[in-house]
Amino acid sequence: MPDSDRPAFAIRKTRTRFLGLTMDECIQAFFGGNALVAVLVLGLITVFLFREGSGFFKQNQSNIEVYRTAGLEYVDHLKRQEADHTALTRYLFDLRVRVFKHHTEVEGATLGEANQQLIAFDDYSYDFGDTVEPLREAVYDLSESVTATKTRMLVNEDRLVERQQLRDAGAVEAAEAVVIEEIDLVAARQPLLAFRPVYGQINGQFAASLLSVLAAEAPAMPTAELEARFTRFHELVEQYIDGFPTVEAALNTWDPNEPIPTWKSWTSFITGERWLTASFWQDWYGVLPLLTGSLMVSMVALIIAVPLGVGAAIYVNQLASVREQNIIKPCIEFISAIPSVVLGFFGIAVLGQAIRIISQWDWLSWVPGFPVVERLNALTAGVLLALIAVPTIFTLAEDALQNVPRAFKEASFALGATKLQTIIRIVIPAALSGIISAVLLGLGRVVGETMVVLLCAGNRIAIPDFTTGIAAFTQPVHTMTGIIAQEMGEVVQGGIHYRALFVVGIVLFFIALFINFMAQKIVQRYRISIG
Amino acid sequence: MSAHTLMEITPTTFAPPIADKPAQADSEVHQTLIDIANLDFFYGETKALHDISLKIPEKEVTAFIGPSGCGKSTLLRCLNRMNDLIDIARVDRGTIRIRDIDIYQPDVDVIELRKRVGMVFQKSNPFPKSIYENITYGLRLQGVSAKSRLDEVVERSLRGAALWDEVKDRLHESGLSLSGGQQQRLCIARAIAVEPEIILMDEPCSALDPIATARVEELIHELKSKYTIVIVTHNMQQAARCSDRTAFFYLGRLVEYADTQTIFMKPSDAQTEAYVSGRFG
Repeated sequence: MPDSDRPAFAIRKTRTRFLGLTMDECIQAFFGGNALVAVLVLGLITVFLFREGSGFFKQNQSNIEVYRTAGLEYVDHLKRQEADHTALTRYLFDLRVRVFKHHTEVEGATLGEANQQLIAFDDYSYDFGDTVEPLREAVYDLSESVTATKTRMLVNEDRLVERQQLRDAGAVEAAEAVVIEEIDLVAARQPLLAFRPVYGQINGQFAASLLSVLAAEAPAMPTAELEARFTRFHELVEQYIDGFPTVEAALNTWDPNEPIPTWKSWTSFITGERWLTASFWQDWYGVLPLLTGSLMVSMVALIIAVPLGVGAAIYVNQLASVREQNIIKPCIEFISAIPSVVLGFFGIAVLGQAIRIISQWDWLSWVPGFPVVERLNALTAGVLLALIAVPTIFTLAEDALQNVPRAFKEASFALGATKLQTIIRIVIPAALSGIISAVLLGLGRVVGETMVVLLCAGNRIAIPDFTTGIAAFTQPVHTMTGIIAQEMGEVVQGGIHYRALFVVGIVLFFIALFINFMAQKIVQRYRISIG
Repeated sequence: MSAHTLMEITPTTFAPPIADKPAQADSEVHQTLIDIANLDFFYGETKALHDISLKIPEKEVTAFIGPSGCGKSTLLRCLNRMNDLIDIARVDRGTIRIRDIDIYQPDVDVIELRKRVGMVFQKSNPFPKSIYENITYGLRLQGVSAKSRLDEVVERSLRGAALWDEVKDRLHESGLSLSGGQQQRLCIARAIAVEPEIILMDEPCSALDPIATARVEELIHELKSKYTIVIVTHNMQQAARCSDRTAFFYLGRLVEYADTQTIFMKPSDAQTEAYVSGRFG
């Protein structure tokens, strides 16, 4: 028999094959495939983000170009001058409120009497308010003219796109039928250039009338403090007048054909202080207000969540009895199961209101920013976000504490350390890097959270007024995540606004990436140090 | 290996260290330091120690031997109340007196007790801190912070643990950067830094190679003049080499307790003889 020549055991591979692969190889391929999907998905998300966002800077550049070419930049110099005057008027109004309050509350005058006493003041502020009229009229006329030019330019751009699309679709005739208006930019700019000498006159009159208002008899102020404020007003007006030549110079040197450098489209995004969209005048895409909002909200959240999360973790892991552990742990972990929209709802309905009521208590008036003006603000959102971060920080910090070898604790006890000494001197230092990375991951969770901030942060797109110090945290803010969620639904796909939101998304992506990277780095070091 | 060959080997292996020992009469003068009387100990419902009575003399090395799970480590951990850290552990009956103080009385300060009764563990466990910080940890707990005093204690302890010459130039490196044997001697130095009276050693050499083991055993010999040492070991040669008295435990009971020489040469109990001659365990 031929079989008798063979060895007694089979060494040939006789396993079943599927597509040339053995069962083991199939299973390996399945696992490998799963792992690959994760890598692919991350890659795809990155590519998608960058593909959608990349067009923004080019579009933003042409956005700024139109702003300059159409003359909006020119008019904005004037508008700023007008706005500064409005700010001064507001200062006067604020002063009037103070004087009025003094009359009614300190001197006990009736409302009618107080108003009577303020007649001189009111005349003074009317005179001051009137000085800006010639400038205001000029700005109004010029605005009309440049907006018209801008609209024509934008319509033309749209038509060019339309023609291109028709041509691509093969409808050559229809494409030719699309009318593209020739815009005579030189003629369109004529009013702007003609305004230059007129402005010189207007400005001169403006300054003269302001000075005459200042020179006129000042209304008497009832107290030294208010007097000081009035003197300050004088100084401010003088500074304002000193700024006039600068505006004039800016108008005279304005060159509509000066090219916009590429970096301008980047810096106007990264350091831009305005996020203004769908505006009648000019759209601005500056990330700074959103970034500030996100950072402020996260900061509040961390300040609250770190002591809560880490403290609870230390208690549960080191001090609590088994019974307490069984109660506390599920409770904290359950917080993370609450849908964030429910938390946001709670924030609007309960927390915002509660903070406002508490802030009105007299004995808390020393707290900066109290009483809060807005119910929804960075503080409200931050407090709620802290709730979201606590379970993450708690769970990871507790893991880190759990991983501290028992031997360290035993050695410490054997040397005569108390429980608290052991925790503070041995357990926490040994778990420190784990705790830090827990905090970082909690931060990542907070920065990326959307629903709560959208509902509770107040959604005012402006950098809070930091001159008020820490009270800035009681002002409403808008965040990067919030703006994407809020505006993504209503933008034109492929438009500049759409792309701007994607760039905000990229910024978020990088922040999250950085935080996670740091957390991993720290955990690695931690593993090594424990040995 | 048959029992016969073992019996033949035993005298030659064990004899020299025992022969080196000072006359037995010398150890008789040492007073009892730890007096364990009728101790019953439970882990939950399981009785781990049955009616243990044992007197441990001062400034001698007492070895606890016996097969795994016989209760020797449990008894050792009763001596500085490390068992308190286990929720379900409790002493049910009997007393442990150290210098006539019952250490299980409610008014005993466990922290004070552990300062007096130091411990070295089976697996070396230096803190993830510098060598210097490791040694000074116990003193800092007691509020000592004067640099000169700490420096002095570090040097004295490291010399005491025969580690000074090896680490004197790198006191501020991590304790974890040392080799296994050095780490264990660092742990001994850490224990003697707080000047305890008693040092408990729970299988201190079980994770060490023979050369490191020899150094630690040498050290135990030197420490004997100043400290009372109780050592748990699996290694019978080690018990024979470095202890003055030996207690043999089996299934939670103290089977025999006598001079090391007696236990190894003329055990009175059949189980002891079977264990020390390697027939089981």
